[in-house]
Amino acid sequence: MTEQFPILIIIAPLFGAILIALLGFRHQSLCLPTVLGSLAISCAAAVGTFLKVLEQGTVLYNLSGWERVTTPRGLFSVSIEYRVDAISGLVLVAIAAVGLLNAIYSKVHVVTETPNKVPHYYILYLLLVAGLAGMTITNDAFNLYVLIEISSLSSYALIAIGSRRAVLASFNYVIMGTIGASFYLLGVGYLYIKTGTLNMTDIHAALATLPKDSPSVQVALILILIGLWIKMAFFPLHGWLPNAYAYSPTATSTLMGPLVTQVMIYIMIRMMLSLFGAEYVFDHLQWTNIVVGLSVIAIVAGSLFALSRSDLRKMLTYLIVAEVGYMVGGAWLANSMGMTGAIYHILSDAMMTFTLFMVIGIIITRTGKTELTAFQGLFRKMPITMTGFTIAALSMIGLPPTCGFFSKYYLVRGGIEAGQWAYVGALLFSSLINAVIFFRLIEMAYFHGGKAYGEEITDKDHEHHHSRGRELDAQPDETLEQVPWSMLAPMLMAAASLLAIGIFNRPIAGWINAALETLNLAQGG
Amino acid sequence: MKPMKLAALLTVIVTGGLLLFATSDLPDWGDPLSPANASDLSTYYIQDSRDVTEVPNLVTAVLADYRGYDTMFETVVIFVAGLGILSILGQGKCEEPLAQPVASEQNRERDMITIITCRLVVPIIQIFALYVIAHGHYSPGGGFQGGVMLGSSFILIALTSGLPDALKRMSQERAIFLAGLGVLIYAGTGLVCMALGRNFLDYEILHKLMGGTGVKARYDSMLIVEIGVAFTVMAIMFIIYAVLSSKGRMRGGL
Repeated sequence: MTEQFPILIIIAPLFGAILIALLGFRHQSLCLPTVLGSLAISCAAAVGTFLKVLEQGTVLYNLSGWERVTTPRGLFSVSIEYRVDAISGLVLVAIAAVGLLNAIYSKVHVVTETPNKVPHYYILYLLLVAGLAGMTITNDAFNLYVLIEISSLSSYALIAIGSRRAVLASFNYVIMGTIGASFYLLGVGYLYIKTGTLNMTDIHAALATLPKDSPSVQVALILILIGLWIKMAFFPLHGWLPNAYAYSPTATSTLMGPLVTQVMIYIMIRMMLSLFGAEYVFDHLQWTNIVVGLSVIAIVAGSLFALSRSDLRKMLTYLIVAEVGYMVGGAWLANSMGMTGAIYHILSDAMMTFTLFMVIGIIITRTGKTELTAFQGLFRKMPITMTGFTIAALSMIGLPPTCGFFSKYYLVRGGIEAGQWAYVGALLFSSLINAVIFFRLIEMAYFHGGKAYGEEITDKDHEHHHSRGRELDAQPDETLEQVPWSMLAPMLMAAASLLAIGIFNRPIAGWINAALETLNLAQGG
Repeated sequence: MKPMKLAALLTVIVTGGLLLFATSDLPDWGDPLSPANASDLSTYYIQDSRDVTEVPNLVTAVLADYRGYDTMFETVVIFVAGLGILSILGQGKCEEPLAQPVASEQNRERDMITIITCRLVVPIIQIFALYVIAHGHYSPGGGFQGGVMLGSSFILIALTSGLPDALKRMSQERAIFLAGLGVLIYAGTGLVCMALGRNFLDYEILHKLMGGTGVKARYDSMLIVEIGVAFTVMAIMFIIYAVLSSKGRMRGGL
């Protein structure tokens, strides 16, 4: 049974989606249990796969049961294969866990925001999770494209299913995303012409026999990189992201914000290391300075845009743009410390963004405001939510023992080792901006409490707050913290995971490093 | 020129230049020794696939067996496309009586010649579609093409007799059910292989259920999955037409 774990991660949500398509339209009460059940199976299978990887190294899984075929030149794959190492194992666990927690968190939102499209929503939701997990797990360059299509199409619909503004935002994303996907496909096409195979391991082996300065291979790399950069919203190709995430339904932005860009960054790292190979990308091409330079611009611009926004979700989306710069830059530092930092940051960024999106979703639902001022006096009214927020904020700023500190630590060390001082400076600058943004919010939430807040309340829900008078100022306001536990519990678990990833940073970095060594990116190399 | 247009022009020029640059060391057109034609993989497909799958059409063997997992997700892509359009434009309520004609619909005159002709043509289209599907695993054809034909037969009904008439035969709910069923047939085949103790979509083991040899089981399973593909493609083609032509209201139509 354990050898079937890798496929279960993908097909559990797929069958969940099919089940909803067949039965969910007649019996809407079946939808949520199906979603939770299939994602729980997927999550368990992801954890199982990861444990297996830790035990016995890289796990391969042949689809359609075709074993690799032997020739005098070695083994080659004739069908599609999965390949899970410690890095993709971690990413898979993160995808399945975020998918599951978000399904619990958003069960109220889905019903209120898309009232007569609940089955549609959940089918697309499950397929998006399946698509993202499938992209991470596959070892086949074309299969990756097919799953990019699945996840893109479902995310376009998941965004546009919301308000009218979301439709326009989604349309922008459709155009940009399609261009990105076509660039990727074109790149894979060139690689196929040059190597005659689609399996990443085999392409890597075949590329080694080709002359190093082959223009078509270089162009293939450029096309693939640009395609993925559009998909991950790497500045200045980020245009689609802020509106798409800010206007989409809550459940969509809390799922896509933490996963889509981060999975794309993993795919970029996968392409660099296991398809083209570290030696080709770093030693032969020498593009490090250019790409790290671009990432410096991305970090600085993303941070400044975030600082200038007064809408909570818009601010978060620009923070994502800055974080993409962290990871792209870290991955292109050409040393294992930077790469470890980038991969570690995929995890921590996914969980930080997830926590923040959930907190802000709760705050917007409860206060009815989307501006920064919604935070006024919230510590007293919503202590549990604000605890989660504080942890996430400390992590974004990069204070120990949260994971944000350790990812910055690895990234900064990588930057120093590589002598990329501009990148190190940009990281510190961005931490500073994050400190300004988040301490401002924490300060607002902590000190602008009590009466100032009470006077501002116009929301009908909270009108009786006044009448109950002073005794409420002394104790937490139950009316505002009346958030269902289905929303609070996933948020707290995500916040706790920020601490857990931070505290266990040594083993996680150790696993990543061990996996990087098998990809010829050895320590200090 | 506006700056955006200039930027777009520059982007196009740079991209075009890159593509031209890349062609400089591509193999010659039709070169029998190019990697895509002569790699171990292609040689294997050309020489060995017939023996292990019994399929004379090696494109189908690659599509439905070696890379059957891709094709399964291509079917899901079509499913998502239809469902996405429905979820963006549609009203979302399946319980609502769909075939209710609107006023303009009733008044519109339908030409008897086109209706009668289409009544005659539709069965022929459908039979030919079934023929194409049934040939999917050993000659050119298959579930995608056959499914599109089946879908087009319903679209023809909608064009001539009006959308409500077509929706009587294929309601929105039924179409989604059939689309889901198609994916279920495909993915379910894979799941049965897993239940029998092999990897996902390893058709060979299905000989335990279907009799015969493992090779024969691969051959027959390809037909099963092609049928699944046809269901999904047919239903989604029709949904897309119905939703777009009626602006999501699923009545009236063109």
